[in-house]
Amino acid sequence: MKRILKIYFRLLSQNIKMLMEYRIDFLTGAFSFIIDQVVGIGFIFIIFSQIPELAGYTLDQIVFIYGFSLIPKGLDHMFTDNLWSVGYFIVQKGDFDKYLTRPINPLFHIIAEKFQIDAAGELIMGIILVCISAGSAGVVFTPLSVVLLIVAIIFASLIYTSIKLGTAALAFWIKVSGQVTQVFYMTNEFAKYPTTIYSDFIRTVITYIVPFAFTGYYPCVYLFTGENPLFNIGGVVIVSSVLMMIALTIWNRGLKAYESAGS
Amino acid sequence: MIEVEHLKKEFRKVVKEPGLKGSVKSLFKPKYETVAAVDDISFHVPKGEILGFIGPNGAGKSTVIKMLTGILTPTSGSCTINGKDPAADRKRYVKEIGVVFGQRTQLWWDLPLRETYGVLKEVYSVPDEKYQKRMELLNEVLELDDFIGSPVRTLSLGQRMRADIAASLLHSPKVLFLDEPTIGLDVVVKNNIRNAIMEINRTEKTTVILTTHDISDIELLCSRIVMVDKGHKVYDGSLDALKSKYGIMRELVFQPEIAENFSEKDFIGGLKLGGEDLTVGHENGKWRVRFNSEKIPVKDMLSYTLSHIEAKDISMREADVEEIIRRLYKEGVGV
Ligand SMILES: Nc1ncnc2c1ncn2[C@@H]1O[C@H](COP(=O)(O)OP(=O)(O)OP(=O)(O)O)[C@@H](O)[C@H]1O
Ligand SMILES: [Mg+2]
Repeated sequence: MKRILKIYFRLLSQNIKMLMEYRIDFLTGAFSFIIDQVVGIGFIFIIFSQIPELAGYTLDQIVFIYGFSLIPKGLDHMFTDNLWSVGYFIVQKGDFDKYLTRPINPLFHIIAEKFQIDAAGELIMGIILVCISAGSAGVVFTPLSVVLLIVAIIFASLIYTSIKLGTAALAFWIKVSGQVTQVFYMTNEFAKYPTTIYSDFIRTVITYIVPFAFTGYYPCVYLFTGENPLFNIGGVVIVSSVLMMIALTIWNRGLKAYESAGS
Repeated sequence: MIEVEHLKKEFRKVVKEPGLKGSVKSLFKPKYETVAAVDDISFHVPKGEILGFIGPNGAGKSTVIKMLTGILTPTSGSCTINGKDPAADRKRYVKEIGVVFGQRTQLWWDLPLRETYGVLKEVYSVPDEKYQKRMELLNEVLELDDFIGSPVRTLSLGQRMRADIAASLLHSPKVLFLDEPTIGLDVVVKNNIRNAIMEINRTEKTTVILTTHDISDIELLCSRIVMVDKGHKVYDGSLDALKSKYGIMRELVFQPEIAENFSEKDFIGGLKLGGEDLTVGHENGKWRVRFNSEKIPVKDMLSYTLSHIEAKDISMREADVEEIIRRLYKEGVGV
């Protein structure tokens, strides 16, 4: 364990040094993120200038859900961004070879290799929105709710990770699976708003199939009302664990199916 | 040390018919074809041996190396190295081996080389003191000093290859796998790398398997070669045995005192040999007579030449390994 942490932080510190070198890249990343958020939040305000409530939620509550959903998304984005490269080119080009010839877990190796500082934008934005809207949204912080909040955030991040991992691992069979990941990942946009505004079909999909509703709306319902923690928070833990197990199974089978590339 | 038994690897390929119609068809109803890149290959390598693994392009060399290093899972058959099965025992197994693919680096693209070795030190849990000594040694044989501060992406091919080889040796592996370690390098760097391989093999009894298309690598490094072609093993034995089995061709080179006094026909007619067994050529005033030493003994050839031609600078050469291998690749061999 100590060795693993040492390796991780060594690669991390290098990654941060690299950021200094590719500063332009960082700036453009930050810029496009800010545009995205301005559009996203602007959209909420435009809606609320027309109506006082959306599906029974106030503006502050909607902003809280929006902000909360950015936190697990940002955490996953920050730490496991390299999974995208697995699906887009690492496997296809045969570059996965090198992860198999080192005496550390290949998945850990892949993840440790990249630290995505761009994600700091999502995290900071999420935390700010949550902080400014929490009081008026009716969120009461008690020791219990804070613990459950943290648990929910951790497991919600793993929902993102599992979806990326499971779909990236398909590349071991189909060579390029980045687009598959993209399709699944995009549904997270639905998680920023209450599921009650969607049709039954979409609600079922984002609750049970690509369960991004557990990364935003459901845990927030618990924080607003204190109701049904078993589903709203327990659901996050269970859904996330099941998904992670499925993703790891696909990944491990994929390692055996890996065909490298001619050389 | 290394036991390979009936190793086989099949790849599934989509067969596309030509044209747009074929593409559309294969999109909806792909046709698959399995090709055996490696088919029933067996060999054993004792500890401390340097084995040359050769064969024409696409023969299956890299595929074998990938199975031996745990990257690919064999379709059938087995390989056991140091009592371990690479694919099943991967994490424990790779601690004991070093792997270099000449075609692509295994190092972190953006990391300065020094830092790369620092991370690998942790990955392989090399103790500080041992690491210091090791780096000194590798530095000395591979001359890393000039570029050890540079990121891997900025290294030239020759520098990168040395960097990769040093990385593969950092943890003192028991077995070293080198897939085309001299590809695209100049003579100086080639020499440097060959010396490093020899040095490590001599002092640490490291077992080495290397693939190459450079016959000098084989001649200088390998006591034994395994040749594969189209996924099958076609030769397994020492270089000397290969030479004596196929190397019956000799070459006589000389410079006649008076150039106009004779012609090719004198040789061919006088010795009653021709075709594959005797060819005569000349360039820049030098004559080269290639002949089959089983059909006409070297002694007879020499005395015939000396009695017919006034020549200076006479020399006799064995057909070199390159020649033999070229013939084998072209004609194929049965074992
Ligand atoms: N990942 C792969 N998928 C499909 N076919 C492959 C794959 N890797 C190799 N092959 C096929 O297997 C055969 C052997 O390839 P391999 O790379 O082992 O040859 P090689 O002996 O290393 O050749 P070279 O000297 O050109 O490097 C080739 O016909 C190649 O097309
Ligand atoms: Mg090859």
